[in-house]
Amino acid sequence: MVSWQTRTAALLGRLTIRQSLKRGLKVSEMRGRIRAMERFFPAVPDDIEIETTPELSCCDAEWLTLASRQTERVILHLPGGAFMTRFVRAERLLLARMCKAANARGRLVFYRLAPEHPYPAGLDDSFEAYRQLLDLGVSPEHIILSGMSAGGCLALALLLKIRDLELPMPAGAVLMSPAADLTDASESGSRVSNAAADAVLNMERGDDIRQLYLGGAVELVSHPYVSPVLGDFHGLPPLFFQVGSTEILLDDSQRCAEQARLAGVRAEVEVWDRMPHGWQALSFAPESGRAIGRIGDFIRECCP
Amino acid sequence: MSAKPKKSAPGSEFMRTLRRDHAGLSRVLRELEVQAARLVQVPEQAAPVLADALSYLLRYHHAFHHPREDRLFARIRAQDKGLDTPLAELSHDHEVGEEQLSDLVDLLNALNDRQLRGKSGQELADRIQEYVRHTRVHMRDEEAVFYARAEGVLDGRDWREVIAADDGRKDPMTDLVEMSSRYPRLAEQLGLPVQQLGLIERASPVSEALREQMLSLIDLYGGLAYDMLDLGRGHIDRLLSVRGPVSLAKAMGEMSSANLKFVGRCLTRPPRWAINSAASVLVASLRPYLRERQR
Repeated sequence: MVSWQTRTAALLGRLTIRQSLKRGLKVSEMRGRIRAMERFFPAVPDDIEIETTPELSCCDAEWLTLASRQTERVILHLPGGAFMTRFVRAERLLLARMCKAANARGRLVFYRLAPEHPYPAGLDDSFEAYRQLLDLGVSPEHIILSGMSAGGCLALALLLKIRDLELPMPAGAVLMSPAADLTDASESGSRVSNAAADAVLNMERGDDIRQLYLGGAVELVSHPYVSPVLGDFHGLPPLFFQVGSTEILLDDSQRCAEQARLAGVRAEVEVWDRMPHGWQALSFAPESGRAIGRIGDFIRECCP
Repeated sequence: MSAKPKKSAPGSEFMRTLRRDHAGLSRVLRELEVQAARLVQVPEQAAPVLADALSYLLRYHHAFHHPREDRLFARIRAQDKGLDTPLAELSHDHEVGEEQLSDLVDLLNALNDRQLRGKSGQELADRIQEYVRHTRVHMRDEEAVFYARAEGVLDGRDWREVIAADDGRKDPMTDLVEMSSRYPRLAEQLGLPVQQLGLIERASPVSEALREQMLSLIDLYGGLAYDMLDLGRGHIDRLLSVRGPVSLAKAMGEMSSANLKFVGRCLTRPPRWAINSAASVLVASLRPYLRERQR
């Protein structure tokens, strides 16, 4: 059974975010509305320290450290938000909770956003953050990538790029409803069957998002760094997907996991019954706590 | 804390073993959670997997991993009195956890499928979920409190003694063949690439169609509410831009026109929704009969 907290959040998502996406709002208006909504998200717990140094060259980033706890694990987290917006407080809290569950430090990368900074700016920033971790002496065996939605797409793209550049791979990746196919080519599957049921997203802004993210260079949409589901998954570390059964992005996770398994990569998909997009960030919902607990378990498995 | 860095290779290897044990435990906890959630609905499928998982925890984690940790805790406590209380609590947790787990095994064995489908099954599932939650917190505390510090606190002699007392038993989770032979039903589940969490048997096509129509009704009224807000905002902007009587008359005209359009939407959309809903519910209810006739 879906909890009343999640049902309420799904209803609010349907009445706010989904409606906003349908209305063709300008990016600045979307950002303004998200800032207004963000006031309702709690701050990170007191036992989490936030630092901003060392910095990245082109974007902001934060370190989240569990107070008085020593650990070698680092979660490099890439927030979601359709490459154009972001829920800063919600993502920070999400990462803080993941860090607690996995006994890890968190690196939250506020990669540059489109349309001001189209592709590949976001991927470049994410890559710089990964390189920085290696330069700081963090062992790749202790690094876990994670990403939500558009951040999940970037996390997958980052893995492909790390592999292509023959850098050491992180220990694993946690992908929460990644938007892994920006071509939107599938005219069947979850993008159609879940179009009405998805509480947050709809396909009506797909073209706009693609145009803005790629800075008009839509021919890049089939590039694996843009639509990772079209990439070759050989040599990637274990992948852990969580996705809601009524999300339009359900197939993205399942197709990526299939691709990964075909390439001999361990990939698990958890399909959660009727969870709205991004439910892991709903700190007040019991399903969110369970999802985070399972993410912590996965991190401990790949990064003992 | 009196810690000075005394890292030693045997210590590192021993700690790696403990961490690998936690990795195996984490994987099984995930499976326990999934199967406990299914226990009341499909006890004939979930109970055998739970039995394997609980047995694995008793036979490896409580029989070998925890004694291994307890020996280490005792060494650390002797070296660093500051860690005395938290380590005593962790050791106590091991004892309580083993008792709880034994109770869970007994209860699972005592209940038949019919009982598992009822209140007793739900209580057992809740207790297993509570065990999972507690074990996760315990594991986290162990890693935070002493895993990180053990190598700094103990010296080479301590480690040699800790390792000499160890039986070297390996976690069966590191060997899938062994897992398959000893815990076949658990091993089978661990190999599944896709897990459905909380998925229940779908209701009839009619109630699915009704649910979908309710969602579209929410979308409809949500959209109208947004339209109304936009309309109000537009009116305020328009009125603020009025400069003189002519401009006011023009603004009134525009606002009336916008109001009429909005009223039009309010009047036409709900009936359209009602017609669409009725049609899709009718189609959903006829579909089984049509399929029957086609056969």
